[in-house]
Amino acid sequence: MDFGFTPRQEALKQEVRQFIAENVSPEVLAEAAKGWEEGRGPRTRELLKKIADRGWVGISWPKEYGGQGGSRIDQYLVEEEFARVGIGVGGAGSGAPAILAAGTEEQKQYFLPRIIRGEIVFGLGFTEPQAGADLASLQCRAVRDGDEYVVNGQKMFTSSAHFATHLYLMARTDPEAPKHKGISIFLIPMDTPGITVRPLWTIQSNPTAPLGTTYGQARTNEVFLEDVHVPASCILGEENMGWYVGAMGLNLDRVGASRYLLSVSRDEDIINWVKENDFQGFTPAQDPAVRDRLAELWIEAQVCRLMTLRSMSLVEHGGKFTYEGSAEKVFSPEHGVRTTETITQVLGPYAQLMNGSPEAIEDGIFAHNVLGAFQSGINHGSVQVMRDQVARRGLGMPRS
Amino acid sequence: MDVLLNEEEQMLKNLAREFLEKECPPEMARAMEADDLGYPPALWKKLADLGWLGLALPEAYGGQGLPLAYLGLIFEELGRAIAPVPFHSTMMAALTIAKDGSEQQKKEVLPAVARGDMVLTWALLETDPRLLPETVHAQATPQGNGYVISGTKMFVDNFNAAQKFLVACRTAPVSGDKSPVTPLYERGGLSSPPLQRGVGGISAQGSEAGLSLFLVDTNLPGISHTPLGTMVKDKQSRVTFDRVAVPASSLVGRLHQGWPVIEGMLDRGTILLCAQMLGATRKDAEMGIDYAKNRVAFGRPIGAFQSIQHLCADMIVWVDGVQLLTYEALWRMDQGLPASIEISQAKAFANDKCEAVVRSSQVIHGGIGFMAEFNLNLWFRRVSSWTMRMGTSFEHRARIARALLDQPGRVRLGESMYDLAPSG
Repeated sequence: MDFGFTPRQEALKQEVRQFIAENVSPEVLAEAAKGWEEGRGPRTRELLKKIADRGWVGISWPKEYGGQGGSRIDQYLVEEEFARVGIGVGGAGSGAPAILAAGTEEQKQYFLPRIIRGEIVFGLGFTEPQAGADLASLQCRAVRDGDEYVVNGQKMFTSSAHFATHLYLMARTDPEAPKHKGISIFLIPMDTPGITVRPLWTIQSNPTAPLGTTYGQARTNEVFLEDVHVPASCILGEENMGWYVGAMGLNLDRVGASRYLLSVSRDEDIINWVKENDFQGFTPAQDPAVRDRLAELWIEAQVCRLMTLRSMSLVEHGGKFTYEGSAEKVFSPEHGVRTTETITQVLGPYAQLMNGSPEAIEDGIFAHNVLGAFQSGINHGSVQVMRDQVARRGLGMPRS
Repeated sequence: MDVLLNEEEQMLKNLAREFLEKECPPEMARAMEADDLGYPPALWKKLADLGWLGLALPEAYGGQGLPLAYLGLIFEELGRAIAPVPFHSTMMAALTIAKDGSEQQKKEVLPAVARGDMVLTWALLETDPRLLPETVHAQATPQGNGYVISGTKMFVDNFNAAQKFLVACRTAPVSGDKSPVTPLYERGGLSSPPLQRGVGGISAQGSEAGLSLFLVDTNLPGISHTPLGTMVKDKQSRVTFDRVAVPASSLVGRLHQGWPVIEGMLDRGTILLCAQMLGATRKDAEMGIDYAKNRVAFGRPIGAFQSIQHLCADMIVWVDGVQLLTYEALWRMDQGLPASIEISQAKAFANDKCEAVVRSSQVIHGGIGFMAEFNLNLWFRRVSSWTMRMGTSFEHRARIARALLDQPGRVRLGESMYDLAPSG
């Protein structure tokens, strides 16, 4: 066991902090905060390119695809520093890990360097109106036709669709096969004719979340695919093996710096707030009940941190998760919700005030978090599905 | 950074498990509940022969000088096997003598412990059960070339089996103003000097506590004990000192400066108990999960029901959490880093979650788990009682709250809590 970082890694952290201090201006952050509504703006793109030029994206990816052939722990450290200021780096998302694991040489050469440079962004085309937690029952069809596939169907909650360059799509290629064994994954340019994107506005869209909100997604999308013709070379991995290719990417997407910070940032925020503030002499930080509860949450946050580091350690060993990624995806999001809800009881009626309101605390981020926190226990595999996986894969419990 | 066990650590753990599965079946724990001594001397001797008793003691005194984390792994396996041996109380005292004892005390005690010829324990708590200096009222008064001790100690582990014990006594009144003494756990971990600066001028020597620690033979005239009847039927005693004369050489560390020594002892004892709770709780969870896979109701194994599966998933997630917190604290102690906050994190979480896990396992077992002759209860009673010892959740969380909230500077996960940077 080794719970420390090497001097080189500590120096890397400092280097990234220095870079952030010099390059991540309030203007960039304000623009990045609008990313969910408007996509990446010019300042964000320039920043992401600078970060990529430093060699800080895809550190653990092989050199021949633009990575550094470095350690997953290094990559985690860099991602954490940027995630803390609200900038997602590292080719986060399911696409790149799946391409690394299952892509053809040509796909790796094409996609990975462009993902690193920020030129390719995936929209995740998994969920459908009738296929959420039970994703394998999806109905979107891809039919082989000579050198092409023709895709028809509807996708839901494709959050990046309006600024993505490609759709990372799961579709059924064999309707006769058992549901997990008739699915394939396709990497489809968004500008392919037949693709329509329509916005879906969330309960965090009016007003939209201010800078620094952990859970602040104003917009997601539905995506319609009507007779979309794509070359057969768009398929990722073997035909009908898409379920397993997708699961690989999802497992890696469930862990890491951004997921961890999503769950624990509120702990730091409320503790630092109560340390520096009071209500005309009432000081929550001196209330024994508040103190006990905040300490309890802090301990849970440490568990979130350690579970993330466990996942990183497993990846570093080249091992696969049996249940550890799912365990982290149970504990951390639920912790984030517990913290968010505790904050409402520490701040009382002030916690309901949104940004723009008179007397709003921290520009309403705590109110926004109440609206969005539970979302992290739903997306990318709900905590209930994750518990199924811990029990069945991790503990070998029977299905029936 | 690699939170997984390395090869050597895993090997030690495996060896310990194999040995205990063979030599220490649960029936032994059950038998010792009815035994006057409370542990099998033959097993104790075997532990000595394996080198476990001297594992973390200095090589110069018959030990192996291995890291505390290794001892933690042994405790984890002893917990798993619910081994009825006075290992915890002996190690708490022995490690303290190794760190703070005189040359004479080390020579007298440590080789004998490592050989399996000496059982030790410690006596701190009195009527007020909190692990705080101001709860100590037993008095050691200078007399002739030594001291005379009078007072009563509670919850003294394995007193009946121990040859010597460490006894905390008041040698000077609590100094300072007349205001009530702030619980030292609340002051934020005196064993970690950097934090003391951060929490506002707590004396690094701890002399304001006015305590001293003595190494005392258990059979001295004037010492008497009354066994306490615990839910584990383990051996704890109320020990009374009636003008017990001890030589000056029994002082451990410096006069009136006993509290930092005691805090170190408590920190080590707390984290080793966490490791023991971890091992016992994981085993208890595994028994519940196995039972769920095999017990049939409504035409299928109950483990096929999601209500049971999700209960089991939480059990394992929580045990994993206890493990990660415990290992991190042990690792920090071996690095010589301050660890009092990490120790409190581990114990507070273990108290709450281990109790929840063993309760869930009882729930999965239904009525059969309530039966005295069914072995599950051996783990349930032990884990439950360990949550009550070495600091309650409230005590440990108060210590964390103090570090979080009562020193200037912003907190950040993953960064040191012992010396927060100035605001900004």
